Amino acid sequence: MSTAEPVRAGFTVDSDTMALRALPGTMVTASGLVLPVEPDPAPAEPVTRKPGRDRYLDLLRAMALVRVVIYHNFSWTWLPLVFPSMGVMFALAGSLMARSLSRPAFGVIRSRLRRLLPPLWMFGAVVVPAMILDGWGPDYDGHPNWWWGHLAFWILPVSTPPFADHLGGFGGHLPATWAEQIVVPLWYLRAYLWFMVLSPLLLKAVRRTPWVTLVLPLVLSAVLNSGLVDQSGRIMETVTDFTTFGACWILGMAYHEGVFRRIPAYVAPSIAPLLLAVGFWWLQQAPVDQPRIGPDIEAVPLAQAIWSFGSVLLLLHLSPSWEKWPRRLERFNGVVSLLNSRAVTVYLWHALALVLTEPLIEPLWDNAFFYTHLRWLLTSQWFPLIVAVPLIVLALLLFGWVEDVAAKRRPRLFPYPRRPKGQRRK
Amino acid sequence: MSRHQRSRRSPLRSRRLAAPPLRFFLPLTVLMTLLALMVLRGMANNEVFHDERTAVSVDKGTVPPGVLQGGPVVDARGDRNDRPVSYSIPEKTVVLTFDDGPSATWTPKILKVLADEGVRADFFVTGSMTTRNPELIRRIVAGGHEIGLHTFTHPDLALQTSTRLTWELGETQLALAGVAGIHTTLFRPPYSSTVDALDDWSWPVTKEVGADGYLVSFIDKDTDDWKRPGVDAIVKAAMPDLPGQGEMVLMHDAGGNRSQTLTALPLIIKKLKAEGYAFKTIGEALGTGPANTRVDGYDLWAGKAFLWCTSFAVHLMPWLVVLLAVVGTLVFLRFALMLVLSVMHVRRTRKRGFTWGDPVTEPVTVVVPAYNEQECITNTLLSLARSEHPIEVIVVDDGSTDDTAAIVEELDLPMVRLIRQPNSGKPAALDTGVAAASYDLVVMMDGDTVFEPSTVGELVQPFADPRIGAVAGNAKVGNRDTLIGAWQHIEYVMGFNLDRRMYDVLGCMPTIPGAVGGFRRSALEQVGGMSDDTLAEDTDVTMALHRGGWKIVYAEKARAWTEAPGSLRQLWSQRYRWSYGTMQAMWKHRHAVLERGAAGHFGRVGLPFVAVFMVLTPLLAPAIDVAMLYGVIFVDPYATLAAWFGVMALQAVFAAWSFHLDGEKYWHLITLPVQQVVYRVLMYMVLLQSWITALTGGRLRWQKLRRTGEVGLDVTMGEMPS
Repeated sequence: MSTAEPVRAGFTVDSDTMALRALPGTMVTASGLVLPVEPDPAPAEPVTRKPGRDRYLDLLRAMALVRVVIYHNFSWTWLPLVFPSMGVMFALAGSLMARSLSRPAFGVIRSRLRRLLPPLWMFGAVVVPAMILDGWGPDYDGHPNWWWGHLAFWILPVSTPPFADHLGGFGGHLPATWAEQIVVPLWYLRAYLWFMVLSPLLLKAVRRTPWVTLVLPLVLSAVLNSGLVDQSGRIMETVTDFTTFGACWILGMAYHEGVFRRIPAYVAPSIAPLLLAVGFWWLQQAPVDQPRIGPDIEAVPLAQAIWSFGSVLLLLHLSPSWEKWPRRLERFNGVVSLLNSRAVTVYLWHALALVLTEPLIEPLWDNAFFYTHLRWLLTSQWFPLIVAVPLIVLALLLFGWVEDVAAKRRPRLFPYPRRPKGQRRK
Repeated sequence: MSRHQRSRRSPLRSRRLAAPPLRFFLPLTVLMTLLALMVLRGMANNEVFHDERTAVSVDKGTVPPGVLQGGPVVDARGDRNDRPVSYSIPEKTVVLTFDDGPSATWTPKILKVLADEGVRADFFVTGSMTTRNPELIRRIVAGGHEIGLHTFTHPDLALQTSTRLTWELGETQLALAGVAGIHTTLFRPPYSSTVDALDDWSWPVTKEVGADGYLVSFIDKDTDDWKRPGVDAIVKAAMPDLPGQGEMVLMHDAGGNRSQTLTALPLIIKKLKAEGYAFKTIGEALGTGPANTRVDGYDLWAGKAFLWCTSFAVHLMPWLVVLLAVVGTLVFLRFALMLVLSVMHVRRTRKRGFTWGDPVTEPVTVVVPAYNEQECITNTLLSLARSEHPIEVIVVDDGSTDDTAAIVEELDLPMVRLIRQPNSGKPAALDTGVAAASYDLVVMMDGDTVFEPSTVGELVQPFADPRIGAVAGNAKVGNRDTLIGAWQHIEYVMGFNLDRRMYDVLGCMPTIPGAVGGFRRSALEQVGGMSDDTLAEDTDVTMALHRGGWKIVYAEKARAWTEAPGSLRQLWSQRYRWSYGTMQAMWKHRHAVLERGAAGHFGRVGLPFVAVFMVLTPLLAPAIDVAMLYGVIFVDPYATLAAWFGVMALQAVFAAWSFHLDGEKYWHLITLPVQQVVYRVLMYMVLLQSWITALTGGRLRWQKLRRTGEVGLDVTMGEMPS
């Protein structure tokens, strides 16, 4: 038969599936059914991303930042469920790390450290003297040598940098726990540092046994939180955070490595809801501190680990890879770009901004006009957030340039993009 | 359910899709109303938000010492919120309080005792009891007694959020306004006791309720009557510690057998009267004025509306439950039937040496209607070229506006003939193909479907039996790696291996899939060929063949690979077409019910079967989903989810059985839970949409259509509100 040749070239029969279209690339697809195009079969080497920023990832990162600020202001326990910021941040960072590790590991880690640490030093240069001014010092907890030794964590945060849990509050202007509130974000840098340092190992493991590596942090987290392991102490603190978000970091790496392109597209969105259900159930059955507020996922590491993993799995599965903004989101380009180029600054300083709102709002109670007409504003939880935004912007102006210097870029005061609509200069 | 999609896209169809999304709005409104009614009924029956947990803290550091040692009534209203004031019951005064009521059994008797003794008391009522016994509230108020709030559902508020607290109190006030036109300023927390039992968890509740403007009433003497300790013990517990000391006594008029309370009450009253005690309500005893105020205007009417809706729901729900029980039973029976009949079918057709008769080797005509199939037609034709059975192929280009015809010509396959016709719809294209067919056996397929080499041969083997007029093949989803594809894959495998085998054994196959079906040309000619009376011409012709006395069977080995819709929108429009088309076809062939012979068999077995399980019960399935939602959110998530997973496990077993029958790998079943949630709901919404179309004018147009018999339904459909 004369058609034998094209038949063999045209379509293949196998037990699992059958190609329904001749050649997806060559056929005109102007109209008609949109068949989700299968990604290329698993490439042996990691797929190099297209140059330029992926706006979807930028959006996720910006949302995560905004979510963190809002959560620290309102303490809404449902917010981390709606958008598990930390899991998303770690997954994005893990994915970027996997991408960078195509270069020699040592250099990558060194350049990452160089970008991470200067903003922290800047933060410490302000916060540590402030704490000392407010009564912190070598004799604060009776172990002067330890105090001096722990200060090293402000230089290299392999463990949480030390802080004073009770201070004078500058004559009562600040709450006594202001330092504790301000250093809340530092655990992220510590966890990030460890993930980063261990990334070359993790990446090897992902390449060798991706599924085991993905699940291992969750299993470790389950063991750690089973109640059989004493979780107190600096080391266990680090280990707990590592296991809680390890799955997300590794998930980011696995996505970059194309692990999920090797399995059919339906698997991830089918498993993710089941994971979310398990995480939610674990959260619901965990003992609570404040029964009237209900369970807080930030206080239940295993629930956090599973829930974050499930959500990130879904978010990465959707990952549409926007080279350009979708029309509706174009208007957010400025804010998103700003937040992305000042992410560490916003993250580090937002807690200070929120703490400072208290002494700023307090005097307004003595103002007769505010007291009589605007008491709803003074009592509103939104007011501190509104006050904090200009403070965060101030922090951007004062300290943001450190991020540029750390990245060996020309320092800029306020990197709000001039060109709207996400167009890039070619 | 499983039938092949037709990829015809006429301009009219897109116009229908562009119509306002009534298809979401109407069903959603209906379902939300249903959910609201369920919640209202559940509130009245104290099923919603039911929570029997109690919280006891060991710490009481935050409770002001003055409150811990003070009287039973705590005033933390307004400016006093930071410095609460306690009130004691004056000397020689007693306040009788009854909690948890009113109950239909005991409250009337207690009211009678109180009336006989000329005593007025306080009733701390729950909202759910109030909505259930409105008449009793009115009698309590008429008797001069005082009403206080005891929340709506009787939870321990120390475990609930502020929102919940506000809801509990507000909803109870609403109920009180509805039944008796009053609001009250008195409140007693459930599970509360004497003030010295306040702790760090219950104190914030007291403060918050005070901030909301309520006087919080605890107790002095707990009779523990709910434990049924004996009449003497109750009487003894109600007596004051010191002679003449004022006291607030706690008893219960609901929540179980209160016969001891009822017996003890007159004794308590007589003994205390003998000691010179006066019986007063809280308002009288403290001199704070009446605690109950009349409401009017909006509050009154909102309360009445709430009560009407609740009683409507309470009366409606039992009927719905019966209906759902019937549907549930039917669905489970169908599952059992499918299992039994599919086993029978497999045993019969896979028995060693089974044949339909002499092997059918005569050549076959394959008709491929094609409308804008340029992406797929090449594969379709190339797959036919590999057919092991001798065939001729007739491609009917139904006025395509793309390169379909050119591609067919360019391929220039020897056994393929191309017929062009102006666009006149798929049924007409099929008729054209059949008219041009050289052979007596005709296989119809879609332009986006791919056959295996053995498909045609397997499909026509049953024609060895001269009674068989048509054969349904086994359509498989090709693009099954996407989420929607995987869902449809599960659906197709289950539909073809369970439903179709069952219909085969019952002899009432309702549909031959458009993707792969074999017909005897004489049978087609007998029933007048394809018709465009309905949107589902394949169902229509299948039913017509049944009425013509032909047997229709299922050939499982005749596999056809088809491209399922890749987006929810396309899936929606495809299923809407099927489901509405099925309803049209059933209506068209409704007279089969009364006919004799084979037609009557189909009319009395097949039609009711399809009507019940494809048109009627799916209509009620959303109610089951809503009931589940109600159970998870409002009642007991774990029990509800356990039941849900039970049904899911059953589904999984059936799915696994059908996958086994088809030799499919089981991996896809991992998406079954998600499929059950999203996809099923989608299918029900589609069916509901079809019903809406049918009921809002579809029927009229139908009859008109049947009279003229020429107007394509698509034309009239375009004007329909959908």
